[in-house]
Amino acid sequence: MAIIFLRSAIIFIVLLIIMRFMGKRQIGEMQPFELVVTLVISELACIPMSDVSIPLIYGISAILSIFVFHQIFTLIEQSGRFLKFIVSGKPSLIINKRGIDFKELKNNNLDVSDLMESLRGLGYYSLDNVKYAIYESNGTLTAIADENKSKLEMSILIVKDAKPIINNLNILNCNFYEIQSFLKKQGLKPEKVGILTIDGAGNYYAQEYGKPYKTGIFPLKAGVKW
Amino acid sequence: MVKSFISILVAVLITISLSVLEQTYVKNTFSEFKEIMVIVYEKIENDTATKEDVLSAQKYWINKKEKLHIFIPHNDIKEIDLWLAESTTLVENDKKEDALSKIDVVIELIEQIPKIYSLRIENLL
Repeated sequence: MAIIFLRSAIIFIVLLIIMRFMGKRQIGEMQPFELVVTLVISELACIPMSDVSIPLIYGISAILSIFVFHQIFTLIEQSGRFLKFIVSGKPSLIINKRGIDFKELKNNNLDVSDLMESLRGLGYYSLDNVKYAIYESNGTLTAIADENKSKLEMSILIVKDAKPIINNLNILNCNFYEIQSFLKKQGLKPEKVGILTIDGAGNYYAQEYGKPYKTGIFPLKAGVKW
Repeated sequence: MVKSFISILVAVLITISLSVLEQTYVKNTFSEFKEIMVIVYEKIENDTATKEDVLSAQKYWINKKEKLHIFIPHNDIKEIDLWLAESTTLVENDKKEDALSKIDVVIELIEQIPKIYSLRIENLL
């Protein structure tokens, strides 16, 4: 039992470290250590249940160990901000008044399409409708709407990390050269554009790395709509 | 907070007590069984062993293994069962050399099995 306890401790700590490094994309509404508990405990319960050659006490002692670690990490989390940061990470402000914080996004192993997907889940279909967005330490996204801008047009991603999304360009019925020249006209360097989205009414949202976002109107071709 | 501390303390105490019980029980049982098997081995070597000697060792093992099943995977226990049963037949048929080699395996298993489940760094990693 002592071996199982110590082995469980090793696996628990290693899994927790890996989960913390994987960033918020892997979590989803749980703290990292809670996810580790969920991942491990079902297997621990199943193996001795289904394999009669393994004594039941192996499963029971391992589950007991996981319970101890869960309680310890809950106490650590409650004991102070620094320890909470070590165990569960900290919330990340992904969208601020300047637009998307690409560095924070990368730190959490996320990209702009993940961000747009999460925002759509919250009912925000265009990035400039959002004033602030925070990825909580449990992986959920919290957003504050920009009350001055409440459009219900659906934005599509045209440029991501300075690369075009070909399928979406086809929807716009234009090629990347046209997009590049449009970006240049707006004073943006296409090779530094982290994101360009255009909605059904032709409103664009573009942002270069490390610079504030820009919005405006993109001249949609006749007959283009979605 | 107090509830959490108490629950951690209770769970750790249960784990430590069961660990001590497990380690002590497994070590003592196997060391007693080894003594019995060494006597059987010597008797076979000196041509004084009878089927009853091996059967009494087997009886001791059957009695102890019921509790060992709580702590040790059943396949390891089964391994000893099989070698012991084979030794009994070989002693009964006066196949001394073969019986000795089987008993040798049983003794080796008796030495190795507790090591697999003892608190050692190689078992942790």
